[in-house]
Amino acid sequence: MDPQDLENINALLDRDVELREKIKDQVTELDKKTRTMVGVLNKIHSTPSDSIPVLIDSVRPILLSCQEITSSLASLVPENQFWRWKDMWSNSMRTAVFVASLIEYLSTGALIPLSRVAEILGIKEEWKDRVAVPVEDYLHGLISLVNELSRLAVNAVTMGNFEEPIRISIFVKDLFAGFSMLNLKNDVLRRRFDSLKYDIKKIEEVVYDVSLRKLAPLPKVVPP
Amino acid sequence: MASPLIQLFDHFREDLDDYNDRRERLIKASRDVTNISKKTIFLLHRIVMEESTDDHALAKHAAMRAREKLHEVQDMYAGMKHELEGDRFWRHQRQVSPGLQEYIEALSFAHYLDHGNLITFEQVEETLRDSNGVLYFPLVVSDYLLGLSDLTGELMRFAISGIARRGGRAKANQVCAFVRSCKSDFERMTPYIRELSKKQAITTQSLEKIEDAAYAIAVRGSEYDLPQDMLDDIVTQTISTFGSHGDMKGRSRRRDDETDDEYHPDL
Repeated sequence: MDPQDLENINALLDRDVELREKIKDQVTELDKKTRTMVGVLNKIHSTPSDSIPVLIDSVRPILLSCQEITSSLASLVPENQFWRWKDMWSNSMRTAVFVASLIEYLSTGALIPLSRVAEILGIKEEWKDRVAVPVEDYLHGLISLVNELSRLAVNAVTMGNFEEPIRISIFVKDLFAGFSMLNLKNDVLRRRFDSLKYDIKKIEEVVYDVSLRKLAPLPKVVPP
Repeated sequence: MASPLIQLFDHFREDLDDYNDRRERLIKASRDVTNISKKTIFLLHRIVMEESTDDHALAKHAAMRAREKLHEVQDMYAGMKHELEGDRFWRHQRQVSPGLQEYIEALSFAHYLDHGNLITFEQVEETLRDSNGVLYFPLVVSDYLLGLSDLTGELMRFAISGIARRGGRAKANQVCAFVRSCKSDFERMTPYIRELSKKQAITTQSLEKIEDAAYAIAVRGSEYDLPQDMLDDIVTQTISTFGSHGDMKGRSRRRDDETDDEYHPDL
């Protein structure tokens, strides 16, 4: 190989390694934050509903602090190279989506839109070739949300909250209808979507138990 | 009546379908590129084995024909340009890579036959530009190196199948030295590129095959205290009395070695 060419190529390779290290540092930080939040949010399964707002308020600042990391990532990633590096932080990003969507559900009972997630994480539209929340990661986050809510349906009943499972049931069924509209190929997302039916079954069983024993008012969606 | 959530997922479906469809198109295109490139490589092997009094001119002619054929690939890349614009390139890089590496292998083989050296990164890039000098898509160092790494296998076939030709032994020695230097240049890069270490192992095998052939020739040649030219004459005469099918052995060997570079579709 021509010595000049050899030198250039080695320089290019070294530059990529250096960049990878820098991104990794940021991802480690993001990972710490998302793990902390998931840890705190685990307490929803043992927190009475009137104390949930306090719990959520303790997580919100951590979620907002992820903005520092997304902005560092946006300055590190070269133009047009979002998809080259995104695998490094996909997992953390999906967890962040999950956290944002759980907080939104617990505080308003609604589904958080993708655009709102990006906004909370401080991801700007003009970064979309460097840092963005792709549809796939958003959907992964929502599946984690369903996984979590199926547990919450059970634990809410244990804590004496008989209406929560019914709210969850309606919310999750809607979401499932949405997922059913997608043409998913055989990948991780598809497999995780396929497993949603078990979560739905679990939630339905709780709803069945609660309704049968007349512990909660009949949900509006069930015909009389 | 569509609820807001259904509308939202409608939008996601479009987004995912768009991505999957493009992905399929690029996989197909990449397969076509691979196909043309493989044919080009066979073409090169065929032409350099033709009867000729001037191997140098023959190699030049082969390289020219190969470049013509590779224009088909360049035209395909020109057509794929809009599919790979902006951030899309990196989203689909894994679909583009297999064909591109095969193309670089064919291109570098033609280049070697023409110039006797390794095609540079810039020279590969030059073939991937439109009339305004704009690249169809960015060339990635790993694709360049992995394509070159496959070249060593072709050179091994080239050296061994041509070894019985006039000047074939000198050429085999040249190729041997060249492959050896490629191998050592690539060595430092293996930690950076995952697949390269596997290909280095194959390069080592190819190198050994050429070395063994060169060894056999050197040992046997030493038994006759004659200059290389005269040995060439003796061999040529012997072959010509058997009719000119000196290339049959090389071809069957080539097919045996085919298994190492099969196309692996991205999963």
